[in-house]
Amino acid sequence: MNEELKKKYWERYLRLKHKGVKFYPDVVYKDLVVSFALFLLLVGLAAFVGVKPEPPVDPNDTSYIPRPEWYFLFLFEFLKFIPGELEWVGATVIPGLAILVLLLLPFLDKNPHRHWSKRKVGTGVMTAIVLAMVGLTIRAVVTTPPQEEGPVALSLPEQIALGQELYSIHCAECHGPDGEGGEIQGVEGLEGVVLKPINSQDEMYTRSDQTLYNIIAYGQQDLGMPPFGRAYGGELGPAEIKAIVTFMRYTWDDRVELPAEAQGGGMPTLGPDEVPSYEEHVEPLVKRYCVSCHRPGKKNNNYLMTSYDEVMHSGDHAPVIIPGDPDNSILIQLIQRHELDFSRPMPPTKALPDDVVDIFVRWVAAGAPQTAAEADQIEAQQGGGAAPATPQP
Amino acid sequence: MSSHNPHDLSRRDFLKVVGSFVGSVMGLGLGLPLVSYFVSPALEVQGGDKWIPAGPLENYPIGQPTLFTFTLTKKHGWEKTSQSYGVYIIRHSDTDITVFSNVCTHLACRVRWHDDQEQFICPCHDAHFAESGEVLSGPAPRPLDQYEYKIEDGTLYIHLVEG
Amino acid sequence: MTDKPSRMQALYAWLDERLGLSTIYKVVLDRKVPKVNWWYTLGSATLFLFTMQVITGIFLTVYYVPTPDHAYDSVNYIMQDVSFGWLVRGIHHWGASFMVLFVFLHMLRVFYMGAYKYPRELTWVIGVLLFVLTLGMGFTGYLLPWNQRAYWATTVGTQIAGTPPIIGPWITRILRGGEEISALTLSRFFSLHIWMIPALMALLIAVHLYLVIRIGISNPPSKDE
Repeated sequence: MNEELKKKYWERYLRLKHKGVKFYPDVVYKDLVVSFALFLLLVGLAAFVGVKPEPPVDPNDTSYIPRPEWYFLFLFEFLKFIPGELEWVGATVIPGLAILVLLLLPFLDKNPHRHWSKRKVGTGVMTAIVLAMVGLTIRAVVTTPPQEEGPVALSLPEQIALGQELYSIHCAECHGPDGEGGEIQGVEGLEGVVLKPINSQDEMYTRSDQTLYNIIAYGQQDLGMPPFGRAYGGELGPAEIKAIVTFMRYTWDDRVELPAEAQGGGMPTLGPDEVPSYEEHVEPLVKRYCVSCHRPGKKNNNYLMTSYDEVMHSGDHAPVIIPGDPDNSILIQLIQRHELDFSRPMPPTKALPDDVVDIFVRWVAAGAPQTAAEADQIEAQQGGGAAPATPQP
Repeated sequence: MSSHNPHDLSRRDFLKVVGSFVGSVMGLGLGLPLVSYFVSPALEVQGGDKWIPAGPLENYPIGQPTLFTFTLTKKHGWEKTSQSYGVYIIRHSDTDITVFSNVCTHLACRVRWHDDQEQFICPCHDAHFAESGEVLSGPAPRPLDQYEYKIEDGTLYIHLVEG
Repeated sequence: MTDKPSRMQALYAWLDERLGLSTIYKVVLDRKVPKVNWWYTLGSATLFLFTMQVITGIFLTVYYVPTPDHAYDSVNYIMQDVSFGWLVRGIHHWGASFMVLFVFLHMLRVFYMGAYKYPRELTWVIGVLLFVLTLGMGFTGYLLPWNQRAYWATTVGTQIAGTPPIIGPWITRILRGGEEISALTLSRFFSLHIWMIPALMALLIAVHLYLVIRIGISNPPSKDE
């Protein structure tokens, strides 16, 4: 830009400035309004949308689909179009050049005009680039497969509940539902092995969280315990193992106090005339006492118990449950310790507590309702226990 | 913009009022939560009321102040940390016992029993306490604190109350 | 009551004599600017967002611990247990996205209005640097919660930086502080995120604002210009 043009610019600018407004309060006012709107927006987002919970780092989780923050997505997507051997051009040379051009823009652009209509090439190119960035971002979002994520337990009660559930699935089979140990029955390769309790004071006082974590992750293969950590060929990620350790610590260690909000969690309670439902009462019991063996890949006469459908309909001897007829339901017969020709009593090692058996019996007697709403309906029809009553006095 | 002074002035004032209102809302809206954010762990009371077993009574010779230490695990934030406690146990007879905290009542250094002088002495500011816990000399404002105790089946228990 | 205002005035006069408050007022606030539209608030909105990020970021470090053992748990603690922790982290999380967006929009505004031309070339150059640093803040801050998203995004991100032949692998190593993403990566990203980049940004923002005040806000261009 030559001196003459510079002079013309300043003359014009000073004239406009003279006709203009005071920075304070006119411009400051506008800035404040926008800032305030942003402030409300941020507080609103923090309060009503929050920050999405994520599981902790697990380098061994190969199912995780990595994605950058949304403002890098366009670049991420752009790399899909670059052939392998030229990847470095797309990944570093092109973005690097773009930044360099932006930096030097005032020196590269010799056009003295400022209005967009007199700079059609420049503004056109920029518009095309911005549209391409927006397009690539949208494409990246649309083509990203949904993330398969396990449960993320954040608060302590949630972690304990998750740990309890995972313990029942993965550990209860050998160590018993309450860590009491004893003789293993019905587990391939470990039949008859006697385990010491893992819920004792000795055990809890002498094993740190880290030790328990390592035992679960790595197993104790000389003693027959397989590894459970994904890193060693098991199924569990770090967050899940941590949840199991937390559950053990807060349930069996008498030095730590269970937080009030976690107390009584997990195990359902049932009023004397209440009709139990699968979702509210039976499912937690099934998870705690049965799923450990009654899931795919275990020896269980193909009777699976991971969902309501499976509980009702699966198995070599289906139906295992006859709604309304507890006495002829195989499930009830077995948990009441009857020996059948195709199965010993269940669970194999230790009888269920009476109140647990009672919940199962009353549930089947009432017609094995799935949801709490269905159970309420049955309760209303019975009018307080007139029809098929509980088998107990 | 055509009308000048009076209109302009009131507009200016209006903007000032709106500006300071919006500014204070943001300042307080963020400032007060931030104070609470910084202070909140301090307000969390970890009340404790426990009977700590201190072993069989015979461990404590009559007339001889004996140090007993124990640790408790507490959850601070996301961390479990061990907290150490020390008490001096003096057995006068089979039923009469005194349990002193070893925390100096001056500035919380740990006092030590000195056999030769028959005194508890604080290593920080040289406070001296008698075997009865009384202040003998130095800056300590009150006698050593005492714990409640009970004896069950020959085992001594110390009552730890916190919070 | 009657002598209170005069005392205040006396205090102001005393401070003014030493600090030059009225000069600052005249130069910074009481200056004339061309009539501008709402697009011109993008720059100050970005400054506002930066300020919010600084405040909430400083408060996050009260509890945040940058080690693989504690990072996730300490962030979780902030979200679950600390009073208004959700607000502080929520604002910081969302503010980061808005900051990138507003820096970009501000840059587009300046581009389309041709405001990067004489006499504001230097303001533009510094602005582009600030844009790059903002992206750097986004990239380094993303790792700090030490969750799956963070870990994998950083794995890919640092790998991308390592694609150029010969120097590439060294860039990746320097970014990660070694071969893999580790405790060293976390602590150097933390240092970059809370000290190095913000300090540089604060410096550049100061120069940027100085230039804006010294040269004056550009006027919306007209066709005949």
